[in-house]
Amino acid sequence: MKNLNTLLAGVFLAVALPFGALLLSGQSQLGGLGRAAGEEGGALFPSREPGLAIQGRAVYVSLGCVNCHTQQVRPAGQGSDIARGLGVRPSVARDYALQPQVLLGERRLGPDLANYGARTSPINVETLLTDPASSGAVWHPSYRFVDAAQRTALVAYLKSLRQDYPSPEAKLKK
Amino acid sequence: MTQDNRSGRPQGRPPEGDGRVSRGEASLRGPFLLFFVSAVVWLLAASVLGVIAALDLGSMVGVLRDCPWFTPGRIATAQQDLFIYGWGFNAFFALNLWLLAQLGRFEFRNGWLAQLGGVAWNLALTYGVARVFAGEMSGYRLLDFPREVGPVLAVAFLLAGFWPIVAFARRPTGHTFASQWFVVGASFAFPLIYLLAQLLVLWQPASGVVQAIAHSWFVANLLQLWFGASALAAIYYFLPKVLERTLTGYYLAPVAFWTFFLFAGWTGPAALVGSPVPLWLQSTGVVAAAMMLIPVIIVAINILGTLSSQGGWARAWNDTTLRFVSFGAVAFTLAGVLGGVFAFRSMSAVVRFTSFATGLEQLLVYGCASMVVFGASYFILPRLTGALWPSAKLVHVHFWATALGFISALVAWLVGGWQNGQLLANPAVAYADVLRAGSSWCLVLKISAVLVLVGHVAFALNAFGMILKSSAPADSGRHD
Repeated sequence: MKNLNTLLAGVFLAVALPFGALLLSGQSQLGGLGRAAGEEGGALFPSREPGLAIQGRAVYVSLGCVNCHTQQVRPAGQGSDIARGLGVRPSVARDYALQPQVLLGERRLGPDLANYGARTSPINVETLLTDPASSGAVWHPSYRFVDAAQRTALVAYLKSLRQDYPSPEAKLKK
Repeated sequence: MTQDNRSGRPQGRPPEGDGRVSRGEASLRGPFLLFFVSAVVWLLAASVLGVIAALDLGSMVGVLRDCPWFTPGRIATAQQDLFIYGWGFNAFFALNLWLLAQLGRFEFRNGWLAQLGGVAWNLALTYGVARVFAGEMSGYRLLDFPREVGPVLAVAFLLAGFWPIVAFARRPTGHTFASQWFVVGASFAFPLIYLLAQLLVLWQPASGVVQAIAHSWFVANLLQLWFGASALAAIYYFLPKVLERTLTGYYLAPVAFWTFFLFAGWTGPAALVGSPVPLWLQSTGVVAAAMMLIPVIIVAINILGTLSSQGGWARAWNDTTLRFVSFGAVAFTLAGVLGGVFAFRSMSAVVRFTSFATGLEQLLVYGCASMVVFGASYFILPRLTGALWPSAKLVHVHFWATALGFISALVAWLVGGWQNGQLLANPAVAYADVLRAGSSWCLVLKISAVLVLVGHVAFALNAFGMILKSSAPADSGRHD
């Protein structure tokens, strides 16, 4: 403990070892993920994002939506996400493989949005932003300052979020 | 792991001061006060934003409702960044420098370099927060600033925060003390983790969910290796120093240091239990969080063991510095135990996505680190300024407002989070009912945000009053 070099070498290893084991191994395991078919000969998923959705993601980030909304469905047995109907299957790493910015989220003050695009009766985002009380979401903040173009892009982004397609990994996870 | 004891003083006790402001201590005055004043200004700004966020003024007050700056997402992000990078870093730049200068009898001849680093840090932070208010943030908590801010902060850290390592290298004696190990570790680890996280999250984003893994790794390292290690350094210094007593079981302290640094870096993925990341990563995080109980128990033996003997608690209660520092030590132990227990899958399944994680994080960065910095300020500032604290009443207001405000908020985050999680785990309970059930805890959080702001204003008034009054040169003597 008296030698500075020993101390610095120990601390360096304490940072480098988890970095290598968690992040570099994680990257080598998941970095090559791309689109895949759930069944042989089936369509490839996840779908590519439309350009408007990419703009919508920037709006989502700039409003700080990620502070209150998650985008991930946990497997059965780890919370009640599937029983609550947040998704038909748990999220898998491949679902996010094409996303340039992954916004899993850490808090659920609002509902999860991983499958917003797959909802049969989604809440009207335009109304939610301009007059949350009338759309029934009394706790949702008002975003009247968001202009129409940004609202349209945000809606396109939310509609692009869906994880209801067949996935080879999700079958294993079940 | 053995330490020299050439001075003949008991093990587990930092060196005694000579009762007068040394030349080394006087040379720290400029950089210390720059860091300290910046820290308190940012703390006040963060506390005001905390009140705005808790009262939800951005949604309630007409003028603010249509102002993008007051959107809850941006207010919350700016508040966190100001608290962590404004208050937390400036405060520990000051405290870590003072600690290692004291322990290494370091005379700071290049104080202007540290001040330059401090100015650069604060300018970069101001720019980053302005961009957050403008909505140009990254979406990754605590890495929110636009990516060009990262390298500036890293360089500013090297200028402002690397001096404790220099002080350690130039110490005149071979003997070292636990506080020195923790500060050297924190000062060396942070730039590494910050640059690596910047690279993998913002500059060359890793693919898919690896970004989330990198982010969780960064947050855990930032909280443990900067805030946790720096706070432990101060706890290990002030407790034996003020009590004038050796630490119980001090021979275990090197084990606490190495196990703390060894396991902390692996705990990140514990925050991703249930997420779409490989199971082996999640399990590694859970095991590491449980292993963190080893350093936590040793720190408890060293610190709480010392406090529990020979009327230590009573003496700590009657000394302003120790009252805050002991509060911090208890908070550290609690954070470690709860962090280990609630990392397990069955517990995490309930509290995931609730305010419980906020509670655990605040237990470390506020209950432990910030309270320790407050306590240290009451010890250090009179020595550096040669003045007395202007008002004893404000000291009491500071302690009671921050302690009560924090404890009530902690109960709301932890108990409210647990209740919230149990309701969410029951699919029969509608989502609106889950939110409605949590509204009473929101009221507690509102009151606590106001209380904490009152405490910080009292602290700032007292500290600034003292600094402004101290026109006398720093070597005019010490007033306790």
